Amino acid sequence: MPSANNQNRKFVGTIVGESTSREFRLALDHEAVREQDIIAVDATLRPTDGTASPKQIRVWAKVQRIERLNPLFPVEAGHELAATQTDPFDTVLSLSREMVTAVCQILGAEPLDGGAGGKLDHLRYPPQPASSAYRPESSDIARVVLGELEHKKDRALDIAHLSNRREVDVKVDGHAIVTRHLAILAMTGAGKSVTARRIIEELANKNYPIVIFDPHGDYTGLSEVPGLGNRVRRYYAKFPIFEEDAETVAEIINSLGYELTPTMRHRFDEVFRAAKMFLTDDKTENQTRIGWLAQRLNKPEIGTVFPVERDMWLIAYLAEAGEIVKDQADAAGEQSLTTWGWSGLANYTGTDKRTLEGIKKRAYATAAALRRMEDTNKKIAAIGATPLPTDRKELVQYGGISIVSLAGYTGDFQATIYSIITNDLYDARVRDELKLPVLLLLEEAHNFAPAKADTPAEQRAVAATRQIAQEGRKFSVGLILISQRPSRLDETALAMCNSHIIMRMVNPADQNFIRKVIESLGEDEARMLPDLDVGEAILSGQLINFPVLVKIKQPTSQGEREEKDAFVALEEARKLYGVGRANNPNTRRS
Amino acid sequence: MSQSNPSQIRLTEEGVQAELQRQPHLLMKLAENAFTVAESLRNNYFKNTAQFISALRKAINSYATGKRPDPILGVYDTPKVDWSSVQDEVVTFIDGGVGKVQLSSQVPILLRVGSYCVRTGERRLSEREQFGYYPVILGDLEGGNKERKDFIDIVRISAELLGGLSALERTPDLRLLMFHGPLVYMMSAYAGHTPFTEKDIDLFLKQYAPGTNTAHRLKEEFLEDAKLYIYPPMTPRSDEWIQKKLFEPLAWISWLYRRLIETAKQRTPKPIIAGVVERGELRAFSETILLARVFQGLRKNNQENYFNQMYGRTDLKSPKSLLDRLNYTDALLMAMLLQPGQYSESWEIAKYDGLREGRVTLPNEPDVSVVNFAPLKPENNKTGFPRVNGCYLSVSETTEPIRVETFAELGDDQIHEAVNRAHMYSRLLPGYGFPVGLDIADKFAKVPAWMTQSYGKLIRHHLGVSLQRGEISDAEMRRILVQAIYMTHRDWLFRPQS
Ligand SMILES: Nc1ncnc2c1ncn2[C@@H]1O[C@H](COP(=O)(O)OP(=O)(O)O)[C@@H](O)[C@H]1O
Ligand SMILES: [Mg+2]
Repeated sequence: MPSANNQNRKFVGTIVGESTSREFRLALDHEAVREQDIIAVDATLRPTDGTASPKQIRVWAKVQRIERLNPLFPVEAGHELAATQTDPFDTVLSLSREMVTAVCQILGAEPLDGGAGGKLDHLRYPPQPASSAYRPESSDIARVVLGELEHKKDRALDIAHLSNRREVDVKVDGHAIVTRHLAILAMTGAGKSVTARRIIEELANKNYPIVIFDPHGDYTGLSEVPGLGNRVRRYYAKFPIFEEDAETVAEIINSLGYELTPTMRHRFDEVFRAAKMFLTDDKTENQTRIGWLAQRLNKPEIGTVFPVERDMWLIAYLAEAGEIVKDQADAAGEQSLTTWGWSGLANYTGTDKRTLEGIKKRAYATAAALRRMEDTNKKIAAIGATPLPTDRKELVQYGGISIVSLAGYTGDFQATIYSIITNDLYDARVRDELKLPVLLLLEEAHNFAPAKADTPAEQRAVAATRQIAQEGRKFSVGLILISQRPSRLDETALAMCNSHIIMRMVNPADQNFIRKVIESLGEDEARMLPDLDVGEAILSGQLINFPVLVKIKQPTSQGEREEKDAFVALEEARKLYGVGRANNPNTRRS
Repeated sequence: MSQSNPSQIRLTEEGVQAELQRQPHLLMKLAENAFTVAESLRNNYFKNTAQFISALRKAINSYATGKRPDPILGVYDTPKVDWSSVQDEVVTFIDGGVGKVQLSSQVPILLRVGSYCVRTGERRLSEREQFGYYPVILGDLEGGNKERKDFIDIVRISAELLGGLSALERTPDLRLLMFHGPLVYMMSAYAGHTPFTEKDIDLFLKQYAPGTNTAHRLKEEFLEDAKLYIYPPMTPRSDEWIQKKLFEPLAWISWLYRRLIETAKQRTPKPIIAGVVERGELRAFSETILLARVFQGLRKNNQENYFNQMYGRTDLKSPKSLLDRLNYTDALLMAMLLQPGQYSESWEIAKYDGLREGRVTLPNEPDVSVVNFAPLKPENNKTGFPRVNGCYLSVSETTEPIRVETFAELGDDQIHEAVNRAHMYSRLLPGYGFPVGLDIADKFAKVPAWMTQSYGKLIRHHLGVSLQRGEISDAEMRRILVQAIYMTHRDWLFRPQS
């Protein structure tokens, strides 16, 4: 209910000039309001049917722009003062009369008694010139910011407070976020990850299943949040080679810089298939095969120190085995390999042997590179992280947050891992094998839904993202896209995000792009973007009743990469490792 | 190397020509003149002007350097602009503006006098500046001849004077009171208006006085003076005028001037009271001072035909004929003779020539009576108009010289003090070359176009509605007009300072 107590209502100005049902101008009391403040004007409107008596309404508006002018201070005089270094106060110039006007955007109207519970109707008749505008009670503002959420409290996520009025909490519609997709866009350091963590914590309170694709370890800290920790699982990603086709894997080898020649590329399919079929479900059989491999390659560590797994090493082993068998004309070996799945090996010529040698070298190099990436990945995923489950559905748990660490992998690998998981989850939802809804959070979303997909891996990723952006709603798969380079984001995917959290952004290309794609963002709001503080955001779209400028509340969790003062970090490192100062022995003391 | 010395080059004909080339406002004025003067003068108008100015400059220079016994034109330099020399001074600027509404034609409907009072060096804005305004709705007045074009002027002069008087009375430490326009107008032009009634004066005074008592006293004191000294020499019906409480406009205005001066005289130091005129059309200074001396000098040297020879004519025998034929004005000649920051010697401006007998219609009376305005001349008695001194000040090369006027009675130093400040204030508006404080008062007094436009709309709208209903009456129409006009209070400028 709006408070009946009008004492705290602060007069802010008077409506002047021409008002419309969308906008009015306010002659302001000095410093009475700030841009983005929410104000109100009372009005009386007769219902259109003419039956009932006039209704008392409250018109809600937001200060979009404030213009300040001293019409009695000529520009010319300013130049003269500057040129002669004269203080205007020492002269006869007038400095006291300023015209301060606010341009206010009408948000909507509600009955003065608050009977509509925060729901705002469209105003169809302009407010009266010369009406007084006032600063409403905090509780009233909170009510209209909340809008219809008032009655759907279970949906509300408490993520922010009004930037200009800290006492007013801003709750957003979680339902809109998880079903209609959310984009969080801002330059680096503006507070995107902090915002995302706050939202995740709020959603986790409601047990919503979340899968986070985390390229930088921004979300590792979530597991330290009391009451959340046991529900957070971290996964390191092993690149699932054999879930891809030979072509993709060949590309991966190429993309790491170990280019396969066309001849190798031709034979690679067969090596790949042989590797894929090498391990069976039969353990003893596998042991026989691995034993053979270790003996044939003369590498006793195979199967002992290094377990044989379905990975790039296996492809390398097989290529080497083929090469050896051919080189030594080992008919028995050739026979074994053929039976285990390498059809056509018998027909290989001497040239093919050299081809296999080339494949082997490249496969080993690739395997080593992949191992390095996996190691990094595992390390960043932190202690307690487990390998990605082969059944991706396990990622989706009631009340569970799954963090898929992608750190360590290069772009294409990240994109590929992402599309494999996403497609799996989506398919599982479509086929109804996955029973729970899920929300996917993509940090650095421009890598997973790039505007310009250059590599096949990127093309697959953007296709996967678009599919969820467009169809996800039907199958309760939601998206949160986070990006510091919105202009590099796929426009289709972004356009399907119905909610937006936009934070500080200085790059003009990004600002223009956002203006173009996000309709709910007004021109004046767009103009503010470069001036926002860290943690400040403009919320717009379905998550909120109308666009507002807020300060995001701090999440409980810490990010992995919280920025430290560089010099403090240096001194810590010195103490930790006991390093002394550099001392050039060639320099004589002076 | 005296050739390349700029102050020497200034004195040559080529120097003058080169200088004129740099001053478009002068060139334009000269070109305009070249078209309007007689055909025989048109050829070489520009060249001859340059030659004439060069001769004048040389003569001024000769006098200044002691090579010539008789002065031609006294020229002074304003002190260097130094705001620290005028700190903690209270200055009030006064200006009146007229609001016109476009109905079937432009109709002046209200007059506003704005005042801007400022204390230099004061940092606290609320202490530093005060704005005031005095609106008068012309239609409310009973006196004055409304069909006359100058009706608005007598109203404005009265209102501006009351504004000035009020500023003086409200501000005990007022240092300078500066009016936009002549300090006193050429009064004879305004003779003959129907006297104002007491009701009219009340309308004026409503805006004026801090308390109604002061306003009442002002009115009573005028009537007392009028009864004893002012009206009897003007009209045989003096007693009747007093009995009807009539305020003959010129008598009333001259009395207000006196009052202003008397109030100023009681203060130490005496506040400076000045008027500053832009785009003046006066020729009096050139005729009675500058050219009078030139001709005297020529005669002395038996060169009375100097100008006739120069222009190839026979009729250029006196200052007046020279100015008539060649279309020179004070402003034009001074623009060519004064350098930025310089001002001319002052002279007493003849403001009251032509005050003589005239015809006046009294309010609500069909008959015309004869009234003698000559007694209002300064020399006649202590209630007449005051004597006024004036001089010209050049602010910048690109603007016309402005004229500064002060009251002779308040002392000769007033003109120098006023000029010094007018110069300082004008330097803040070099492109306009006019005191910035007056510009502020002007903007403040101005009835903005959007306002008169919306009055126009509003008035037409209401008239339209009333006409349709067939219920328009004079009273109704007045009510609408007055209502519309009083909406001026919505103007942001007039909101009281918080
Ligand atoms: N809502 C907030 N309140 C306070 N500080 C914040 C807020 N959001 C961000 N910050 C500060 O800014 C830093 C960068 O935030 P982060 O979310 O990592 O930026 P981004 O993800 O946009 O690069 C954080 O480490 C934190 O110190
Ligand atoms: Mg981040």
